[in-house]
Amino acid sequence: MARMPREQWLNIARDLDWELSYVDYDAVFPEWMSGQGKVPREAWSKWEEPYRVTYPEYVATQREKETGAYSVKAVLQKSKVFEQLDEGWKSVAKQHFGAIALAEDIAQYGELRMARFGLAPAWRNTAVLGALDEARHAQIGLFFPHELIGKDPQYDWAHKAYQTNEWAIIAVRALFDGLMMNPNVVDVSVEIPFTFETGFTNVQFLALAADALESGDISFANMISSIQTDEARHAQQGGATLEVLVEHDPRRAQWIIDKSFWLSARLFSVLSGPAMDYYTPLARRKQSYKEFMHEWIAEQFLDQIRDYGLRKPWYWDEFMAGLETWHHALHLGVWYWRPTVWWNPQGGVSPEEREWLNEKYPRWEQHFGRIWDVIIDNINHDRMELTLPETMPWLCNLCHLPIGSAGSPYNDKYPVRSYPLEHNGYTYHFCSRPCRQIWWEDKDTLHDPTVIERLLAGGIQPPTVEGILAWMGLTPDVMGEDPYGYRWAKAYAKQPAA
Amino acid sequence: MTTGQEKGRPAGQGADPEPRGRPVPINARFDNDFVTQLVLVLDTDTLEEAARKVAHHVVGRRIPPRDADLVLRVDGKSLPSGLTVAEAGISPLDSVFVGWAE
Repeated sequence: MARMPREQWLNIARDLDWELSYVDYDAVFPEWMSGQGKVPREAWSKWEEPYRVTYPEYVATQREKETGAYSVKAVLQKSKVFEQLDEGWKSVAKQHFGAIALAEDIAQYGELRMARFGLAPAWRNTAVLGALDEARHAQIGLFFPHELIGKDPQYDWAHKAYQTNEWAIIAVRALFDGLMMNPNVVDVSVEIPFTFETGFTNVQFLALAADALESGDISFANMISSIQTDEARHAQQGGATLEVLVEHDPRRAQWIIDKSFWLSARLFSVLSGPAMDYYTPLARRKQSYKEFMHEWIAEQFLDQIRDYGLRKPWYWDEFMAGLETWHHALHLGVWYWRPTVWWNPQGGVSPEEREWLNEKYPRWEQHFGRIWDVIIDNINHDRMELTLPETMPWLCNLCHLPIGSAGSPYNDKYPVRSYPLEHNGYTYHFCSRPCRQIWWEDKDTLHDPTVIERLLAGGIQPPTVEGILAWMGLTPDVMGEDPYGYRWAKAYAKQPAA
Repeated sequence: MTTGQEKGRPAGQGADPEPRGRPVPINARFDNDFVTQLVLVLDTDTLEEAARKVAHHVVGRRIPPRDADLVLRVDGKSLPSGLTVAEAGISPLDSVFVGWAE
């Protein structure tokens, strides 16, 4: 039987809907799941995805991508490439696998929620393919590191991390629960496909792919590039939803974008920032995190939201200033609290690296150099106990990152301090005014207790440093350590005293 | 985190192994450090003792030691070092700032 040309059926099939007669519309698309809000029901008929794919086309394309990614891996598996990779770079991959592989699994549920509760048939169909994408991403993100577990137990955290109470994972989980699982699907599609996937995954997938290639990790570069091609397709759901929402409720559209951009920016500053500016070997770095964020995120994102008639978020100046400091503070924190992570954070402050940091970030020395000097002095005088913590940093009640990491020392405008808020007799602490404001407005979907709250409420027993590490699931064979035995700091021992 | 000699010590408690008052968890920042931290003080601690407990987690670790006294501030005001934590009205979860007395 001859096949009907796609042009003759696709436009009908992709947007085929029916009138409900046996059940109320509101029962099928309840407000708390679908989030229609002020948008009239008929307005969703304008929902339109610009790039249309049939299921056979989808399968053929995905098969090709899978063949490419897995065959490259199969070839490289037999080589000595892994053994030659820099330990700093390996930590980028370990961090990525643990933080992202099972987040992709959760993303599948986000897509499936849109496939069920999306307010237009074309949207629901697009989301079905999105769910298949996310299933693939979770699978590939677990399969690639699996062969490495025998070589290094930290790779086991590709699967394990998301199911623990490790602090960085609580931050990741809180973000994705808050943006994908808890809100209605109109909010989800603007928060994840539009803001997170269109706006931010470029950092983790394009920038890291470039650094991975430079670092010789062809398999990793190939994997994340393959994932990114899917992101680019299913992310279009966000723009289509936003277009309808802006027309009928621009204030809500602005708020959803403002809050999800801020939260995404905070998370990427602990994931991509240290990976690009500290873990990737100096000679292999393509761009600094700040340069990449300026070019690929800030400018492009502003252009995009302006195209929809929206304004830049109210905190924009604070976000831009944060590109100078946030990820440096977070790197310092991750390094100092290194037993609490499942990768080996490269110190990355050797004299040569420091020169690079000062060139890229003119105030780095003033903000962070003096702190690193004390650490370096302790390393070089064998006072290692002073380079390890005996307590926890206080964590932000929204982004779950250390308070202080949205500012920096010697910074009058964005100092190291908490922005507290008393609510129902309890004092909540926030890293910044935007985190405090977002939590206050949307705490019902965003609140997740921090490690500090759980500790003080008696949820971590025994309440000792060992108890906290055990509660986080960290065992001595996995706890992070400086990967080359503090080699980066030794060069300073040879320098004459200032 | 340190193990061995620190084993069993409550998180956030640096130098006082035998509590004699009620623990007060505070959100403490030492001047020019890059994070605020959980520090457990006792309501019977003098502010000088509380400041030392905060300094224990920072000075010599990320801030160079100095031959100077410590000062504890709340809401921008320096408080007398002889007051106890309870007398100073410091409650659990309060933000506290510690730095060198100039």
